[in-house]
Amino acid sequence: MSKIEFKDVTFSYSQSGKNTIVNNMSCSFDSNMLTIVTGKSGCGKSTVLYLAAGIYPQYSGVLHSGTVLIDGKESSTLSPEKRCSIVGMMFQNPDLQFCMDTVENEILFCLGNIGIPREKMKEIINYALNFCDIAHLRNRRLQSLSGGEKQKAMLSCLIALNPQWLLLDEPFANVDEKSAKELVQKIHKLHKKGVGILVVDHRLDYWLQIADEIRLMNRENGIVQTNYIPEDISDKMMIKIENTKNIEKNETILQLNNLTVSRNENTILNKVNFEFERNKIYFIIGESGSGKSTLFGTISGLYKYEGDILLKGKNIKKRKNYKAGMIGFVTQSPQDQFVSNTVLEEIELGLKIRSSNKDVQKEAESILREIDLWKYRNFSPYMLSQGQQRRLGVASLLAYDCEILICDEPTYAQDSDNTVSIMNALINKAKERGMTLIISTHDLKLAKYYAEVIIELKEGKLYEYSKSSI
Amino acid sequence: MNTLNPVFKLLGILIPTFLLAAFHNPILNIIVFVICIILMLLSKVSFKRLFLLMLPILLVAVGMFFTGYHFQVQEGAPVNPDSLDLTNNAIWNGMIFSSRVLAYAGLGFLFVLTTNKMELIRSFQQQLHLPPIFAYGLLAAWNIFPNIMEEYKKTRAAFRARGVNTFAISPALLKPMLVKAVLWSEALAIAMESKGFNSNAKRTEYYVMKTTLKDLIFPVTTTIGLLFIQNLILRHINLIL
Repeated sequence: MSKIEFKDVTFSYSQSGKNTIVNNMSCSFDSNMLTIVTGKSGCGKSTVLYLAAGIYPQYSGVLHSGTVLIDGKESSTLSPEKRCSIVGMMFQNPDLQFCMDTVENEILFCLGNIGIPREKMKEIINYALNFCDIAHLRNRRLQSLSGGEKQKAMLSCLIALNPQWLLLDEPFANVDEKSAKELVQKIHKLHKKGVGILVVDHRLDYWLQIADEIRLMNRENGIVQTNYIPEDISDKMMIKIENTKNIEKNETILQLNNLTVSRNENTILNKVNFEFERNKIYFIIGESGSGKSTLFGTISGLYKYEGDILLKGKNIKKRKNYKAGMIGFVTQSPQDQFVSNTVLEEIELGLKIRSSNKDVQKEAESILREIDLWKYRNFSPYMLSQGQQRRLGVASLLAYDCEILICDEPTYAQDSDNTVSIMNALINKAKERGMTLIISTHDLKLAKYYAEVIIELKEGKLYEYSKSSI
Repeated sequence: MNTLNPVFKLLGILIPTFLLAAFHNPILNIIVFVICIILMLLSKVSFKRLFLLMLPILLVAVGMFFTGYHFQVQEGAPVNPDSLDLTNNAIWNGMIFSSRVLAYAGLGFLFVLTTNKMELIRSFQQQLHLPPIFAYGLLAAWNIFPNIMEEYKKTRAAFRARGVNTFAISPALLKPMLVKAVLWSEALAIAMESKGFNSNAKRTEYYVMKTTLKDLIFPVTTTIGLLFIQNLILRHINLIL
């Protein structure tokens, strides 16, 4: 049995030791327990994982005191080729973890790193690919894989490296439900073979069946030792399902006529016809890869399309009809939308354009306090944690006066408190201003609770659902 | 051409490239160009692809021809015997310029279209002992390159969604792009190290880039061949004159 131990660890991202992320934390993880660490966004979960993997403080931040030990050895002092046989890590963003062109070459690269003799390589690759059921992807280019396939390819690299511990940082952030479930099964199988598993995630539903323990982390006390057992949690951290609302017909604001979009020779949207009405809340559901982000990208002018998109009855193919700012976007990856140097400026920008109001500063302050980011007002948006970035992304567009607000997965990587506060803020502002909200999500419960109209995107078409049928 | 060791192929193409710069001989240039095209077609480079790639080059070649044609050194200008053919006549002068474009394009395409970049980098690493940190760093950077254009478009759309209009190369766009470039490179470096990559450690390679006699002969042949043809042409011209 192997152990990861934190002894009196204090860590912060600045030399001065202000804003410590982890404060005098002591805890340990056993390799025979499959452990999930969860907690509020920004509480330092990912940091703990990076410390255990030996990536911090080498790459970022300062370890002010304490040690992180794996089997009594300090992981950050080991050289990479030795460290990777002890601890492997799977990251949030599947795009930024490969350095070769094909799946096979990537695994060969890993094996080369640790000096596996040439004649043994084929055998190990076959084993790793078969373990993940991706033998058919062997010679595929990594760039052409979907998010789920990329994570499977990454897992097969880690299997080839054969570490004692596998650390996962929200591995399903860009993965559809089906692939996520498959991956969970593989990870479980790996655990049974004796690999220690430590996962950081907000969404617990995938893990509940296989987890041995779930630990809650918060900023003040570090990781709380009293463990929850999976059975206790179930729906407590998820959103309750409630009423349905009756709504009348409103004026059409955005109309899609025979919208067809192809990317890389695949038809992603096929003659989509739909009318979005003013002052309504739409949820778009559908598996990842079904084209939700493509639909949004097309409306924002990123992709070429056939057919028409009418905004208030005017075709947006003509550029003059597409007034900047009529449609606001909250992008899937929040980093894609930041335009300012600091968190405060990010909010003020929208407020300044909207009105000549002199109370911009006061209003910005109240918005930032509401989303709990006021203490970070002078930070660069890129320095916030994933969850905080997403909150800022939503808030900065709410500060802006658009008529349609499109949100791509606005509540991903948020705990239930933040999910509720984001959704409430979105819906209150939308109703106050008569905005149309179009939100995509993987989370059916969320859609059922908040939506006025639920649409499913399937095989390139949009289907409207009655809420009771979901 | 596809089976040659990339480093030796590069040498066999680079040496003639430098030599060509010293000669002002359109016939030689055109012969080089034709040989390159034949070699490419023999190496199963798609004709359509080659044709499309050559289109802009042809345009430049025509442009260069007229440049040389109109701007030759006029009679009465100080002339030395070495550059006699430069001043001989306008057409000859134009030919020198345009055929040079063709010869260089031919050599360049010959290398690019018959070489796999993975093999090239492996070969750099194994034959020229390029440190692995450069080799794999280059590959990693190369493989995220397609994301950059996508990122640029996204950034622009983000600005527009916030009511900020930007022009194509607005400096405002550069800032988020640069920040992302830094974040990406850090994430990639972390991912590579977490897979055990260490530039100082001894590593094993699955693909061994072999050097055969054929690979050694190639650069020698191209160099001697070029000099031989040049000599032959000069002799003929002298005979005509």
